[in-house]
Amino acid sequence: MAAQGRIVWVSGPAVRADGMSEAKMYETVSVGNSKLIGEVIRLTGDVAFIQVYESTSGLKPGEPVVGTGNPLSVLLGPGIIGQIYDGIQRPLKELSKASGSFIGRGITTTPVDMTKKWHFVPTVSNGDEVSAGSIIGTVKESELIDHSIMIPPDHKGGKISNLVAEGDYDLETVMATTEKDGQTIELKMYHKWPVRKPRPIQKRHDPTIPLLTGQRVIDTFFPIAKGGTGSIPGAFGTGKTVTLHQIAKWADSQVVVYIGCGERGNEMTEVLVEFPHLKDPRSGKPLMDRTVLVANTSNMPVAAREASIYTGVTIAEYYRDMGKDVVLVADSTSRWAESLREMSGRLEEMPAEEGYPSYLASRLAEFYERAGRVQALGSPDRNGSVTLIGAVSPSGGDFTEPVTTHTMRFIKTFWALDAKLAYSRHYPSINWMNSYSGYLADVAKWWSKNISEDWLDVRSQAYAILQREDTLKEIVRLLGPEALPDEEKIILEVARMIKIGLLQQNSFDDVDTFCSPEKQFKLMKLLVDFYNKGQQAIKDGASLADIRALPIISLLLKARMDVKDDEMSKLDKLDADMQEQFKSITGVKVTN
Amino acid sequence: MSQRHPLASNSALEITIDKILKNTEKDILSNIKSALDDSHHNLDDSIRKLEHEYDKVISNGKKEADKIEKQIVGSADIETRNKQLLLLEDAVDKVFSKALDQISNVDRSGDYSNLIKSLLKESTQILGTSEITVFTNAKDKDVVQSALSQFSGAELSSDTIDCLGGIIAKSKDGTMKFDNTLDARIERLKPLIRKEIASTFGVGS
Amino acid sequence: MTAEGGVQYSKIAEIKGPLVVVDDVDSAAFDELVEIETNEGERRLGKVLEVGNGKAVVQVFEGTSGLSIAGTNAKFVGKVMEMPVSKEVLGRVFDGLGRPKDGLPDPIADKFVDINGEPMNPEQREYPKDFIQTGVSVIDGLMTLIRGQKLPIFSGSGMSHNLLAAQIARQASVVGKQDDFAVVFVAIGVQYSEAEYFRRSLEESGALKRSVLFLNTADDPAIERIITPRVALTVAEYLAFDLGMHVLVIMTDMTNYAEALREISAAREEVPGRKGYPGYLYTDLSTIYERAGKLKGRKGSVTQIPILSMPSDDITHPIPDLTGYITEGQIVVGRDLFRQGVYPPINILSSLSRLMKDGIGEGSTRADHSEVSNQVYDAYSRAQEVRALAGIVGKAGLTEIDLKYMEVGDIFEKEFLTQATDENRTIEETLDLMWKIVSKLPKNEITKIKDKYVDQYYKGE
Repeated sequence: MAAQGRIVWVSGPAVRADGMSEAKMYETVSVGNSKLIGEVIRLTGDVAFIQVYESTSGLKPGEPVVGTGNPLSVLLGPGIIGQIYDGIQRPLKELSKASGSFIGRGITTTPVDMTKKWHFVPTVSNGDEVSAGSIIGTVKESELIDHSIMIPPDHKGGKISNLVAEGDYDLETVMATTEKDGQTIELKMYHKWPVRKPRPIQKRHDPTIPLLTGQRVIDTFFPIAKGGTGSIPGAFGTGKTVTLHQIAKWADSQVVVYIGCGERGNEMTEVLVEFPHLKDPRSGKPLMDRTVLVANTSNMPVAAREASIYTGVTIAEYYRDMGKDVVLVADSTSRWAESLREMSGRLEEMPAEEGYPSYLASRLAEFYERAGRVQALGSPDRNGSVTLIGAVSPSGGDFTEPVTTHTMRFIKTFWALDAKLAYSRHYPSINWMNSYSGYLADVAKWWSKNISEDWLDVRSQAYAILQREDTLKEIVRLLGPEALPDEEKIILEVARMIKIGLLQQNSFDDVDTFCSPEKQFKLMKLLVDFYNKGQQAIKDGASLADIRALPIISLLLKARMDVKDDEMSKLDKLDADMQEQFKSITGVKVTN
Repeated sequence: MSQRHPLASNSALEITIDKILKNTEKDILSNIKSALDDSHHNLDDSIRKLEHEYDKVISNGKKEADKIEKQIVGSADIETRNKQLLLLEDAVDKVFSKALDQISNVDRSGDYSNLIKSLLKESTQILGTSEITVFTNAKDKDVVQSALSQFSGAELSSDTIDCLGGIIAKSKDGTMKFDNTLDARIERLKPLIRKEIASTFGVGS
Repeated sequence: MTAEGGVQYSKIAEIKGPLVVVDDVDSAAFDELVEIETNEGERRLGKVLEVGNGKAVVQVFEGTSGLSIAGTNAKFVGKVMEMPVSKEVLGRVFDGLGRPKDGLPDPIADKFVDINGEPMNPEQREYPKDFIQTGVSVIDGLMTLIRGQKLPIFSGSGMSHNLLAAQIARQASVVGKQDDFAVVFVAIGVQYSEAEYFRRSLEESGALKRSVLFLNTADDPAIERIITPRVALTVAEYLAFDLGMHVLVIMTDMTNYAEALREISAAREEVPGRKGYPGYLYTDLSTIYERAGKLKGRKGSVTQIPILSMPSDDITHPIPDLTGYITEGQIVVGRDLFRQGVYPPINILSSLSRLMKDGIGEGSTRADHSEVSNQVYDAYSRAQEVRALAGIVGKAGLTEIDLKYMEVGDIFEKEFLTQATDENRTIEETLDLMWKIVSKLPKNEITKIKDKYVDQYYKGE
């Protein structure tokens, strides 16, 4: 029996209704005469406290509230890839068909086209025993995605019968039935899953494989592993969104879920315009063929912002369960936290720091806990991962505010964006002194196996130069650069070269926007070699001015833009030239 | 040839002096030349500056004139338009007051009593009670009184109000009031009526 | 709009700050427009903030001063607040609630539009990429304004932001040739003289007849400021998306808006966020700023230049901070430059236009634009570092290359940044000036520009 109540109070996105004793926590309800979508978030006696996912303007006490009996869920099946959804999985394209350029209210649609036919290829046979999570067939969802049709994770398993033959079917077709204990259950190509409940798995693996993003400062200096967690905090104007877009574009995952949570409308539009034209560097196929967007822009109803994060992560887990590596980018988790704060305020809960509810930390922990590299339920055996990357928008750029500090407790990679770097147009403005990665040791194995055995060693040398520069800068600030001896001045010089030639990366440059791991390593090696050669040259009597005048320098600095990924021999040539040029300056001194 | 000091002979001395002289001369010449250049340069500069100043004065004047022209033309445009708007409003007002005259003089029998009934009905519905006190003008008193027989709990106030017609309903506890006079209804519809009148004059979209 | 009016309630439970709590209300809707009638028969407007359990909390736009518990009536009008729109609003002046202030009658409405607007569907937006030439070098060259962008000016009290905004409005809207542009000027709690300056400036450029002015001046009711940008943007959206115009909306000063919002929040006894501003300030501001943009299949655009004065010039203050997270960049006016008498005193390092990258380059400005602008930013940032260093160690402690950068900084400020208020530079002039700056550097310092552009434009050595 669904709850049937009446509105007694309205204030913004918060509504109280009485006569709701039948309602369950987190049940979705239809609110008012215009049938707005809401979710029960507190029950007191027969009064339900409801957060409404649409604008409540014009809503009146006395209007009806009707329960649906179901928790807030997403529909999982073929047709999700390439979509742009609102926070509660309504396709924005369908909404525009109903209400034009602006988002209307009370519109119901299905998340995917239920009538579209997909070519289904069974991978089991009648009589096979299957369990929850098992794959029964596949569908080609996009150029890049082979979509596994899985038994729902809460299914109790059984023997397959009535399996359809290979062919084209729509989503409502019964693909097979399972029999167990005399009970027959129909299987379709889709199932629903409540967003607030993590999808179950077989077991967790340690995240040890790097997620390669093609961004040098990330991959080389502060790597993240597949199935790991990362956070990217930064004041406005530090390039958070551009960095996240870069990850969404170039990460070596099979699926990308991009959540625009309380951010700018044009940013989502940008992804929609750009991604179909960009090619995945590995497969050459359009990036949109692996991307799902969830958009609750800042001016869209605030309650749906809270839901958007869960909608996104549940979709990510679904593709993970197929054995895929999924990256989820949430921009920005601060807006999500603010929507929690707003609803908490309307519930008149006791606030903790800066008005945030006391459960902020546990909600963040729960969210990041949904990351991981796992073995999925059912057969066949398969491993997939969800990597969670959350942007944080600290107020005033202050990293000690609650969302940043709590987030830092639950993530292992921290990319601290720095307004000073951004002001000087050093992009990505990831500060190399404040950032860290807890995956460095894990992913080093991959690098040494696949790229170069001395990767970790060269990286440490490069990083040491940056660290030394940081301390020397203090002296320079007080005494000027001329106070340093040449062997320290060259540290400043090479640190500058590392910043320009390696750490900086121009996302709008066709070549520089993506950097292969080989190129990343070779560029880094060249710069470290330059440093070592430079120190040696100084010992051999060369002056810093001689070194500064080497024509190789500007070539090294521009190599990131000049040398394409398939032209690694050009970097070897640079290496050879560098050796020559160093010989020439030390050579002059020797003959003197 | 025997080795001699270069300055030992007169001719050598002459040559040397000559050389020095020549050098100095070159210096002097080049100094004179550069001074000349400088003055030329200065002159050029001044002319350029003068021209520039001249241009500036002219262009400033032109800019100013331009500004004034734009201002005058723009203001004139707006003024014309505003006059139109005022004229239109005048016309709208005329039509309106004529309409109001007609309404206030309308025959209070037949259809009119139906109108009063529907106004009463609407008022009790909106207030959510028929425990109301009804106010009306002197002209409509009788029509309202007879219509009230169908609304138990409603009573007519002895005070009359000043209006074209219609009623005001007040809940008996005095907390709620609903103005359903013809004046109020017309006032609410005024923007729509204005638009219609304007469009018959061929103004507005 | 119907002939059905609203019920008037006379049981006022409480009056606090800008709020009136009405008792025994059984038929009011959230967000509904309310007409408050005072003892003296004066009418004020308000809206429902919260309704339920027989009470309605009403926010009175024109303030509650002079209201009393007895004798005050509240009429719930039965609709949300609407603004009448038509082409005839051009050349008109309205008050902060959208009522005529120029002695002329109400505009004859083409239609009545909910002033809150509805969120644009991101899927239906068109990504903005049309360059607007403002004629101000530092903006066109380094923080290009794009049609449909929201690009605020962050300033401080007493600085020349109004001069700059007026110059942009004049120069970005070339009169005569095109009649598809309009300026919507929104004064939010600013002094009358500032509003008048804009009016005169628009008049002098002949743009007044293509402008709509909404004026809530400093002596107007503070709570009205919540409404002012919304009625103005409703008109702007109508001009842009119904009539196909390119509308430039200038709103000054958004700080006054946020303060009005704080006043209401305090009266409602809400848990405050930072500096007493409500936790929903971000969301609330976004419902204003996100109304900028372009839409698929429609001709016009809404471009916003909100101006806000940063309290104590502090960019981390919640108002500029949250604004910066929503807008597509920011133009920061710097106190130091202003003190030195530089106009426009824009601090380029903390300024930024996010949409610039797609609006410049071949076909719109020039192919080298992006790279030369990166190099100028880099050079000026180095110049600032060197200046700071020189302040401590003196010029003698600087290297030769450091001195070059100092020179670049000076040329940048004197020849490129500095510009007269009536000086309208073409983008070519602007780009040439940028190359002039870059050309002061030795070639090997030019690390951000491809060789082919260096070969073409570099004039140094």
